Amino acid sequence: MRNKIFILLVLSGCFIASLSSLAPIWFLWDTSWPFWSSYGISSLWGTEWYPFESLFGLLPAIVGSIWVLIIAMGVAIPCGLAAAIVSSEILPASWQNLLRVSMEVLAGIPSVVYGLIGLWVLLPWLQQHLGLLTGHSLLAAGLILSLMILPTIMVMALDALRLVPAEQREAAINLGLDWEQRLYRVLLPQAWPGIRTGMLLGLGRALGETMAVMLVVGSMDRLPQPIYNILEPAQTLTSRIGREMGEASFGSMHFSALLACGLVLALFASLLSLLAHRKSKQAHP
Amino acid sequence: MRLAPSIPNHSPPISETNKPEKVCIEVHKLSLQLSGKPILHDVSFTIPSLGITSLIGPSGAGKSSLLRCLNRLYDDWKGNISMNNTPIKKWHGGADVLRQFVGLIAQKPSVFPVSIAENVTFGLPRQQRQQNQDELIQSCLKQAALWNEVKDRLHTPANTLSLGQQQRLCLARALALKPAILLLDEPTSSLDPLSKELIECSITKLAISMPIICVTHDLDQAARLQGQVVFMCDGKVIETGESHAFFTQPKRIETREFLRWSVCECAED
Amino acid sequence: MKALLILLALPAILLPTACLLYILYQALPALNWSLIAGSDTANISNMSSAGQALWHQISGSLLLMMLANILAAPLALSMAFFHALIASRQQKMILMTFLQVLQGIPPIVYGLCGLILLVHLLHWGISLATGAVILAIIILPLLSSNIIHALERIPAEQTEAAAALGMSKAAIVLRVWFPLAWTSMLTGLVLAMARSLSETAPILFTATVFSGIAWPDSLFSPVTSLQTHIFYLAQEGSNAQAIHVAWASAAVLLALVLLFSLTALFLRRYKESS
Repeated sequence: MRNKIFILLVLSGCFIASLSSLAPIWFLWDTSWPFWSSYGISSLWGTEWYPFESLFGLLPAIVGSIWVLIIAMGVAIPCGLAAAIVSSEILPASWQNLLRVSMEVLAGIPSVVYGLIGLWVLLPWLQQHLGLLTGHSLLAAGLILSLMILPTIMVMALDALRLVPAEQREAAINLGLDWEQRLYRVLLPQAWPGIRTGMLLGLGRALGETMAVMLVVGSMDRLPQPIYNILEPAQTLTSRIGREMGEASFGSMHFSALLACGLVLALFASLLSLLAHRKSKQAHP
Repeated sequence: MRLAPSIPNHSPPISETNKPEKVCIEVHKLSLQLSGKPILHDVSFTIPSLGITSLIGPSGAGKSSLLRCLNRLYDDWKGNISMNNTPIKKWHGGADVLRQFVGLIAQKPSVFPVSIAENVTFGLPRQQRQQNQDELIQSCLKQAALWNEVKDRLHTPANTLSLGQQQRLCLARALALKPAILLLDEPTSSLDPLSKELIECSITKLAISMPIICVTHDLDQAARLQGQVVFMCDGKVIETGESHAFFTQPKRIETREFLRWSVCECAED
Repeated sequence: MKALLILLALPAILLPTACLLYILYQALPALNWSLIAGSDTANISNMSSAGQALWHQISGSLLLMMLANILAAPLALSMAFFHALIASRQQKMILMTFLQVLQGIPPIVYGLCGLILLVHLLHWGISLATGAVILAIIILPLLSSNIIHALERIPAEQTEAAAALGMSKAAIVLRVWFPLAWTSMLTGLVLAMARSLSETAPILFTATVFSGIAWPDSLFSPVTSLQTHIFYLAQEGSNAQAIHVAWASAAVLLALVLLFSLTALFLRRYKESS
């Protein structure tokens, strides 16, 4: 009897949990439906976003998000990977542990704090050294994001490298392979699934990050001119939602369009975490 | 002597004529400390340019550490080791080149997670790996007595092999580099009897053309492999000798103790 | 090669640390007791409210965090027990994939949905309850998978031995699993707490207001929180005092988050050593 009550409790808890996790996704779809039905899928590549003139093109924000991701990953992957390799293969074990712990702690720093640093340290610096008007730019957002996802990428890569058995390293040494060859031919291939998972998780985090981006990106709803101009203020999907969420009136087309941004964001992010999940499952069969 | 009947009679025909190069290893007053603990103490012996040398002794005697000194996996020792009259610390090209000259097979086989064929050629330089190496792969696998088992599945992942097959693959992988010396660290201690026999057979054949040093805790194996025996205890070399003489007429009291003790141990099993 | 790697690794190791130190450097001059506890001299009517005591923000953040975790913990526990006791192999796989996907969805999306459902459709308004529910949903997948992993580390022999004695599932959970896994479960909870303290975007328009709230009157009134406070202050570029307070708030928030994440680390070490 007690057993049955217990199982009933567990099942009802699961029911509530899945319901509350799935409800947001349904509302996302339901509320953005007016937007999709009146503007259609083509608004994904519309270039104009003027809510007050009922122009809702998502392309500027999507391009902005992609640029920010490229910059963030371009900085964070080489640096994070190098830091992982240096700490697992060059530094002594005690340093390694210290570094891992501090990286884990750094991964937990709230994004709004990074936003503050971006706003009051990075922007003035960019302004001064690149001669920008305010410093608000895609570059600034990308750099701040790279700082935020560095610890994630590094910790995952470090764990993956540490999981390569000592026997494998020794076997490679016994074959007379030098340090670089061991790195390229034994360590990195074997740690690759874990490293890839870390990269995808970092990418997902960078995609969904709001506060830091919102503070430094400049929130300018237009395509970069020309498209590779990353030194001008721009907009990303998350910063648009964050900026306009408080302004849009509930039930309006503007609100619905923001929900559409959210839906696009959620789809991309779920795809990324699915990919990360699949790869990590291959890593530990 | 209990060991005597198990000695097989395929004595290696040592012919001094058809070997490519004479490699003679000299270890002189070798001392090693690992994290402050003395492991080896004034170890000196010479190894002839052909045939098998078995390193025996109780566990913790420093046998495996000695092997690791010989290919500079441990590089922090005092004394002198020379091969072909060249001190290995001053080896031309450094430790990595030395390790291609000296193949080492570890106790536990560890194959790389690539195909069997790629495992064999893993240690070769890039240009050679890109060329067609079928002949080399075949000859190495044959030397390691693995060819017949894997010839139909050279491109399957190597970790699908059994442990014994993996160890023979490791042997083939080391042979692909055409080493002048082979060091074996208890190569058969965790293997099935068939693989053990196959490996013993192939190293006996290999010993015709190169010096082989084999650490073993299995006295029967040391006797079967014949050649020279070096008995170590507590980081020191106690006695060296030709295997038959060593097992039948040990000179030192420690050796006698060890042999008696080991035989009792075997009898109890 | 090694030199190049070290060159690349240096910024990765030094920059985050430098950031931490910089925050402290900026915050220390502004950080004093009267800022946190409030004092008579602080000018409450100041338009920027930069003079307001941080105490209200701190308590608001902690309140949101506690409520979110109280809501999420039972649900996460039941998910974990479902995973460990009831689910088939296939159901386990689906559940884990589901949790992974949910963890990947950006928090701001949950904030948006909370805004629709809780604030507008259920008329809870911008309130403590809205924020707590949204945060609870955000940390739920993280907390569930943490607890699931904690339970997975229990040796199967222990469970089998208990089942062989004829113990019921409830008894196994209470008498075998809790004593064995409580530290790792607590670690998961503490990590979820740190996470819910650092989330900002989803509560920005759903739970918090800038100032004027000392202590929420009820579940359905707005609160102030440290996270959003930093955000508002950061944008007041013209007001030097506001920026000082922003750095100080950042330091306080960091201290709180670090307190939780270091506790989690300590608990893990404790678990490993015992």
